[in-house]
Amino acid sequence: MSLKKPFFFGRRAALSGAGSFLLTSGVRAATPRFAPVREEDLLVAFGHTSPVTDGGWTHAHDMGIQALKRTYPKLKTLYVESIPYSADATRIFRQFVAEGAQMVISTSNYGDFIRDVADRAPAVAFMECDGHAVSGNLGWYYITHWYASYAIGVAAARLSKTGRLGYVASFPVPSVYAGANATLLGARSVNPEATMRVISINSWFDPQAATEAGSALVDSGCDFLCGIMDDPGYLRVAQDRGVWAAMWNTDMRQFGPDAYVSSVTLDFAKFYIEQVGARIRGDWKPEARFLTLGAGVDRDAWGQRVPEVVRVEADAVRARMLGGWSPFQGPLYDSEGKLRVAEGHVMNDMELYNWNWQLQGVSGLG
Amino acid sequence: MIELLTGLLGHAVLSGSVLALAALGEVIAERSGVTNLGVEGLMSLGAVVAVMTVAAIPHPWVGLLMAGLVGGLGAGVLALASVVLRANQVLCGVAVTFLGLGLSATIGRPVAGMPVPVIFEPVSVPMLSSIPVIGPAVFAQNILVYFIYLLLPLIVHFWLFRTRYGLDLRAVGENPAAADAVGVPVTKLRVMAVMIGGILAGFAGADLTLAVVPVWSDGMIAGRGWIAVALVIFAGYRPVWAVASGLLFGLVTAIGFMGQARGWPVAPAVLNTLPYLGTIGCIIVPILAFPRLRRAMAAPAALATPYHRTGR
Repeated sequence: MSLKKPFFFGRRAALSGAGSFLLTSGVRAATPRFAPVREEDLLVAFGHTSPVTDGGWTHAHDMGIQALKRTYPKLKTLYVESIPYSADATRIFRQFVAEGAQMVISTSNYGDFIRDVADRAPAVAFMECDGHAVSGNLGWYYITHWYASYAIGVAAARLSKTGRLGYVASFPVPSVYAGANATLLGARSVNPEATMRVISINSWFDPQAATEAGSALVDSGCDFLCGIMDDPGYLRVAQDRGVWAAMWNTDMRQFGPDAYVSSVTLDFAKFYIEQVGARIRGDWKPEARFLTLGAGVDRDAWGQRVPEVVRVEADAVRARMLGGWSPFQGPLYDSEGKLRVAEGHVMNDMELYNWNWQLQGVSGLG
Repeated sequence: MIELLTGLLGHAVLSGSVLALAALGEVIAERSGVTNLGVEGLMSLGAVVAVMTVAAIPHPWVGLLMAGLVGGLGAGVLALASVVLRANQVLCGVAVTFLGLGLSATIGRPVAGMPVPVIFEPVSVPMLSSIPVIGPAVFAQNILVYFIYLLLPLIVHFWLFRTRYGLDLRAVGENPAAADAVGVPVTKLRVMAVMIGGILAGFAGADLTLAVVPVWSDGMIAGRGWIAVALVIFAGYRPVWAVASGLLFGLVTAIGFMGQARGWPVAPAVLNTLPYLGTIGCIIVPILAFPRLRRAMAAPAALATPYHRTGR
């Protein structure tokens, strides 16, 4: 399968890239653009899409920042929460540069809003989570959450009696496609009849809507709920209705101890420590980085009611993936029955990252 | 099928209760001639204060009470600015919304994401809860639901339309100069109406965190305060209709999710807009069909107009 979404390069970026290549290609090797900086002089600015208290995505990043500060106690950090996806984002990132940040990390996708700032501040190292472009001073990173989802899917098929899984989604974006597809693929490795029904609530964070969506899924026969929400809304539904639920971001078992199966947990600590360390030493490079299974993303410790035999089976699959095996190989068909991944082809992480069609058996994402 | 209907109705009742409560409060404020656009912020404050209170004193009624108190105080700020000092009501309302959202995010940090220790548990009404479909959906809810749908709208309706105080309040909203001329205390009544509206908005926030989704997180009101303001117009400024429209909105929202869950051949984006399309449709269609409704459903004549005695 060829990539549907190629790397985005704006015209201006391409021109400036060409310009800087012409001007500096001869000297870049000798003088690195990002000179070493002492720990106490380094200011790292973080831009978040939601509050650090969201209990989900931004909370996970904040935990990484806390670990970073423990490793580099003299390091200066600052963060801004709830940055809208608008020109306000540009203003805030520009403010980071004006404050003297030598490193700016955006924990969510801000596309051109961050690119504009990065292009004008070539001496500042920029990193964008869920980004798509790499330039002279802008890199991106993301977690390969699909492997964890696949392992949870194996458990889902064993736990579900009806074989009908429900997914509470935000928007039809690649991380949602990859999450729903990977979970169902895992489930189908055990129960080929399993299906996945997706509800999009048009928000990353709306506990009431997530709760109602979860209820609607249970009402229509799903007995295993999963999703990509920052809040434990549908876990509580699962607890009340006596079905199972798997979560995202963090360990949420306290909200539904009987229903809790696992969670796609995120851990950015190691990555942030490594990147800031590189910036301090002066060998930071803008690049595209996937945090792999077991090194930034994983399934959470299994819930208390998940039977031992299910844990062992799902963990065996996880161990195979840790060993390099990928379950994402052809033939894979989309929900209209069209062959999308040919026999023998193994989807690489970039293809999985840009997954934008729903797997056979998944419905609701369109 | 029966299970499906029960689930649908049960959810409509529960999620509609939040909107119904906030809309009811807004009816009172707007009937006195004051547009309170601070509902979103006041609900947010109510929601967080309820959680913080029950975290300290694990009793849901105490949480509800504190939420109402804080909602009333917040609305008091609005009343001071827009009624006593006669500032622009739209600006003051938006300011109170942002104040409420910001303040609740700040004070709520310690309890954000924490499970609420006590909630309003469902209480089944004997006999009634065994009626098929309606029983489990309507008569096996938490106690607030019964208050919101059965008791409060009747009290407010009776107060507004059957008592002298209600008549005074409506007179202040229709023609404050005339009301003033016959000795009705315009400013006092407006301040009171806005504060009662604020108390109900605070209750609505507490209803959300103590009964519907028992956790506080910043941004969890997610625009429901604004919807409540819109529902008041939709309901023609009538308390019973305001509560009914909250229920209708909850029902249409639930139908949208049900449609996605059952795989109706409609795009999810369209199903998600159903409540809004439904609201617009429900406002426009009756007025087109019965032109006389336009007058009956009209806003109080002096709505959003500050009253200056000297400007008579």
